[in-house]
Amino acid sequence: MTLLRRGAIGVLMVIASAAVAPELWTPAHYATQFREAADAEPSGRFPLGTDRLGRDRLSRLVYGTRVSLLLAPAAALLSCGAAALMGGSAAVAGGLTETGIMALADLCLSLPWLFLLLTMRALLPLNVSPQTSIALTFLLLGVLGWAGPARVIFATVRKLQSSDFILQAHAAGLGPRQVFLRHLTPNLAPVLLAQFCVAVPLYVLAEATLGMLGLGVAEPLPSWGNILRELESGNALSQPWLLVPVVLLALVVASFQAVMPAQTGEKDYA
Amino acid sequence: MSPLLKINISVDYPRNPGVLQSLTLEAHAGEIIGLVGRSGEGKSTVTMAILGLLGYKGGKCAGEILFQGRNLLELNQREMRCVRGKEIGLVPQSPLAALNPNLRLRAHLEEARRAHDGEKRDWAGLMESVSLPSEAAFLDQLPRNLSVGMAQRFMIAMAMVHRPPLLLADEPTSALDMITQAEILKLFARLNREQGVAMLYISHDLASVASLCHRVAILHQGKVVECGATGDVFQNPQHAFTRQLIAAIPQPPQSSLVAMGKALRPDWNEAETMAPEQAASEHSPVL
Repeated sequence: MTLLRRGAIGVLMVIASAAVAPELWTPAHYATQFREAADAEPSGRFPLGTDRLGRDRLSRLVYGTRVSLLLAPAAALLSCGAAALMGGSAAVAGGLTETGIMALADLCLSLPWLFLLLTMRALLPLNVSPQTSIALTFLLLGVLGWAGPARVIFATVRKLQSSDFILQAHAAGLGPRQVFLRHLTPNLAPVLLAQFCVAVPLYVLAEATLGMLGLGVAEPLPSWGNILRELESGNALSQPWLLVPVVLLALVVASFQAVMPAQTGEKDYA
Repeated sequence: MSPLLKINISVDYPRNPGVLQSLTLEAHAGEIIGLVGRSGEGKSTVTMAILGLLGYKGGKCAGEILFQGRNLLELNQREMRCVRGKEIGLVPQSPLAALNPNLRLRAHLEEARRAHDGEKRDWAGLMESVSLPSEAAFLDQLPRNLSVGMAQRFMIAMAMVHRPPLLLADEPTSALDMITQAEILKLFARLNREQGVAMLYISHDLASVASLCHRVAILHQGKVVECGATGDVFQNPQHAFTRQLIAAIPQPPQSSLVAMGKALRPDWNEAETMAPEQAASEHSPVL
C-alpha cells in the first residue's frame, strides 16, 4: 500500500469518525441560533464563526458532513443495486430484454447527467420537509446513476458466462442456482464494489451541486451543498474561513480517488 | 456388447455451418479412444455436443448420441444435467482457466459433489488417486496457488468425483510442458487400468495419442476419415490426411543427438545415431 493511499484512508477515517456522532462534541446543535452573535468572525467560541442566522459554522459543517457522507454511499448502493439488477438480467435474458435495457441505458448515458439531475429535481416539489428532501436527493442520485454501472455489469456477466470455469461448472452438472451463487456472484462482487467506489465521490459532488443551487437537502438540515451556498454572497476573500467546507469537500473527494485503486484493483480475473 | 458411447452427429454454428458432418464415433467401456485432428476442425465441438452444452456457444447438433443405450439429444435439460459430471466427466484444455479464481479447491469439490447429491466425504482418497497432496491444507488454497500441472491433476480429480464411466479429455495436455504432459498421460493410463474408466482423448498431439490410446479416430473436414487400433493406424495409415499427420510428427534432430553424444563420449560413432539409410548414403563413395 502506498503512502498516499494510507494517508487517504487516514483522512477519510478521521473525517468519518468525527461525523459519526456530532452531538457528542460539537459546540452546538446545527439549528441552534446565537442571535447575539450573528455573522461572527472565528473565535474561541465559534472556531469557524457563525452564519447570518447566528448558527455555529463548525457544528453545521460536521452535521453536514454526516448527511453528505451517508447520502452519497446510500445513493451509490441504490444505483449499484439497480445496475446489477438491470445489467444482470439483460445479460442473462438476452434477446429483446437485452436490447430494451441496453437501449434505455444508452439513452440515459447520452443525456448530460448533471442537467438531467437538475431538471428532475426541479420538477419535483421543492417546498418539502428536510427529511423528504434528503430522501428525494438520495433517490434521484441513485435512480439516475444506474446506467453506467449497468453497462459494466452487463459486460462482466457476459464475459463470465462465456468463461471456461462457468462452462466447466455446467459440464460438472451444476444447476443454474449453483452456477449463479457460487460462480457468477463471487466474481461479480469486486466489479460491483469498484462501481460503488467510483460512484461515491461522484455523488458527493452531485449533492453539493444540487445543494448550492438550493435543489438539495433543505434547511435547516445542513449538507455540504447548502453550506456552500454561503459562498454565493461572494465575500470568500475577505472571509477565507468560508472556504473550509470547500477544502473539506476537495479533501474527501481526492481521498476517495486515492483510495480507490486498492479496492478496485484487478482481482485475479483473467 | 453394445458400445458405451455411439455418436453420429452433424453440428452447425451460425457463422460456421457444417463443422461436423455426420461424424461417427464409438467408444467401448474401459477403452481409451483418441480423436485426432487439426486445430479448429471441431474436436472440442464433439465434447460440447456430447455434454449438451453446444447451446452456450450458439451451436446446433443433429443426429444421435447414444450413451448407455439412451439418446442424449432427446433428454431434457434436467435429465441432461444428471448425466453431466455424474456419468460423463470433462477434463478441460486450460485447467487454470477452468477453475473459479475466487473459489477454494475444497469448495470446487463440494460443489461438484452437491450437483449430484453425493454423500459428504473425505477427499484424501480422491486426491491420492491423482497424486495430489492429501492433507486438508492443500484444499484450502485458491486455484492461483497451483501450478498448471497440479491444476490439471485437480481437474481430473474433479471429473472423477462421481466416478463416471466415461471421461472426455479435451486436449488435456496441450497447455503442459513435456514432463508434466508425460505424468498426466501416465495418470490417465492408471485411472483407466485401475478404475476402468473409458476415455475420449482429444488431441492434436499424435505422440501422446500413440502412447495412451487403444484406438484412434482421425477427424478431417468434419468427418472421421480413419479409425482403428492405434498401432495399425500409425504403422499403416490409409487416408492421405493421416499420412500427412504422421509425417508431421517432429523428430529430434540428428545433429543435436550427435553433439550430445560427442559431449558425453569422445569415441562416439556418428553412424550409431543415424538412421541406417542415412548412414549408408553418407558412407557411399559416389553420390
